[in-house]
Amino acid sequence: MIQDINHPIIETHQLRRRYGRGDAAMDGLAGVDLTVRRGEMVALMGPSGSGKSTLMQILGLLDRPTSGSYYLNGTDVSRLTTAEQAELRGRRLGFVFQGIYLLPRLNAIRNVELPMVYARFPANERKHRALESLSRVGLAELANRRPNQLSGGQAQRVAIARAVAPGPDLLLADEPTGALDRASGREVLALFQYLNDDLGLTIVIVTHDPLVGRHARRIVELEDGRIISDTPVNEKDRIVAEHPLEVIR
Amino acid sequence: MNAFSIALDSIWAHRLRSALTALGIVIGVFAVVTLTSLGSGVRSYVSGQFSSFGATLITVTPALPHASGAKPHFGRGPNNNFVNVPSTLTITDANAITLAHSPDISQVAPVAVLPVTVSPTPRGSSGLAATGTTASYFKAEQLSFAAGRFTQTGAVLGSSALHTLFPGVKNPIGRTIYVGQAPIPVTGVLHAASGLLSKAANNTIFVDVSKGLQISDLHNISEILVAASGNSAVNGAGQVITRVMSLRHPSGDFTVTKDTQILKTINSTLSTITTFLSGLAAISLLVGGIGIMNIMLVTVTERFREIGIRKALGARDSDILVQFLAESVLLSLLGGAIGVLLSALASHMIGQLAGFPAGLTLDAVALAVGFSLLVGIVFGVIPAFRAARLMPAEALRTE
Repeated sequence: MIQDINHPIIETHQLRRRYGRGDAAMDGLAGVDLTVRRGEMVALMGPSGSGKSTLMQILGLLDRPTSGSYYLNGTDVSRLTTAEQAELRGRRLGFVFQGIYLLPRLNAIRNVELPMVYARFPANERKHRALESLSRVGLAELANRRPNQLSGGQAQRVAIARAVAPGPDLLLADEPTGALDRASGREVLALFQYLNDDLGLTIVIVTHDPLVGRHARRIVELEDGRIISDTPVNEKDRIVAEHPLEVIR
Repeated sequence: MNAFSIALDSIWAHRLRSALTALGIVIGVFAVVTLTSLGSGVRSYVSGQFSSFGATLITVTPALPHASGAKPHFGRGPNNNFVNVPSTLTITDANAITLAHSPDISQVAPVAVLPVTVSPTPRGSSGLAATGTTASYFKAEQLSFAAGRFTQTGAVLGSSALHTLFPGVKNPIGRTIYVGQAPIPVTGVLHAASGLLSKAANNTIFVDVSKGLQISDLHNISEILVAASGNSAVNGAGQVITRVMSLRHPSGDFTVTKDTQILKTINSTLSTITTFLSGLAAISLLVGGIGIMNIMLVTVTERFREIGIRKALGARDSDILVQFLAESVLLSLLGGAIGVLLSALASHMIGQLAGFPAGLTLDAVALAVGFSLLVGIVFGVIPAFRAARLMPAEALRTE
């Protein structure tokens, strides 16, 4: 895919997602127009059932919309085959979920390598990038540990390392601090800030926590499958770690 | 990290479940391979018995004439009894075959079963059979002499016949036996014959065919035994015999039977039985395969989350398909391998007990491997497809 800097990374029109059929049918999304530009850090907020996770799954090509259009990097993804979508997920998108979504039987570095295995990276590049990515989140020393030998915060940082290792355009995070204690949560958010500020990675965070939202530069609020507000975060309101990398270490 | 090492890891992670799943395949493969191996063991044992003669023997036996060309059927004797076919074969027939001087024929022996008693005393009976033949008979049947030799005037005793007639006597040469009350000196004793088909010789007394016919007041012999000069000469010898005999018996009242034909019949019967039993055993393989499918379907449901993660990380449908297919194939191959090992052990032990060689045949192993592969693929496809077609969001939603 040709990367065109002029395209927004995300552009949706009247995105709908309907669950079930007939009378029991329910709109997860009821027509969402959203544009996210390169380098943004957006928080999708709303109560549970508002459709924010559904939106994130469609943006991450984990689910297909019932109707409406979605352009990712200028490409109409509804025209892509499942294999092409899988390739986009592996190379261009990174995911961080709420729970521990590491594969329990693989050690940290093998987990980080996994998306690059599916993207058919050469073995030595894979290893190199995985180590680099792990040291970026401050966990190079724990590369050989299994997920059950890591703390929750460490496991989530491995998941972030895994998400960014292939060099994606967009990082999607679904309640990334939801299962963590406050200190670990701060580490993860500082890491996001570093990835966005210093490396220019576009990040979309789904959260119901206003404190988490205030780490972003823009807050999009959903309710009943619709966007009800879309506001930038004032610089003075934004929570910013002075030296994000020191928080991590 | 390829699909097979993922599969191996997953099998190892659920050791007990994998073992129980593979058990169905283990039993199925064990049954199929053991039966096939035993079958081919019995077959090679029987062939071995024949090939101690090289399967080169050909027998000419009497038959009902087929004057009108229609084949006679049995049960047409007096009173509609099932009767022996009256023989029209003579010593001259045997001589005629000899005189054909075919290079394919090495020995020709007339054989007359003599309906007379045999006894060490002038009056009495030992229950032994007497056969009239010539020296060629012993060469054709590969019977060897423990002492003495066959002459036109004397009698030769089979090893068991010696014990019956003269218990405790080591060397009976020079003693007299009475064949149909005719006194005949013993001139030779045979070694004990062990072959399946030559054991009858142990209980037999052999005299010269002309003398035997004369004693029992017969004119016809029972059969003519011909030994071909080698395995490749059997067909040529058969043709020569048929040609010579047809000239002498235009009515066709004889049958030429090759040992190879008997061997073929036995072999084909045995393979039919083996195939039939293996087919029955294959049903247990089918059951084992369904067991694998069952477990793999459960596994897919249990591993929705793993499938979801892998897909979110860029795994294509085909990657997931291959992963799950590899697991079921590996599982059934492992089961197959264990089954083959057990079967090697079992057929070895059974072979030892039954006294015939019953090792694993390459055929049986190939069959087992092929079968397990097939089972793994056939019954792994449905679960693998289910896993592959999952939408990642759907897979991740399940906690």
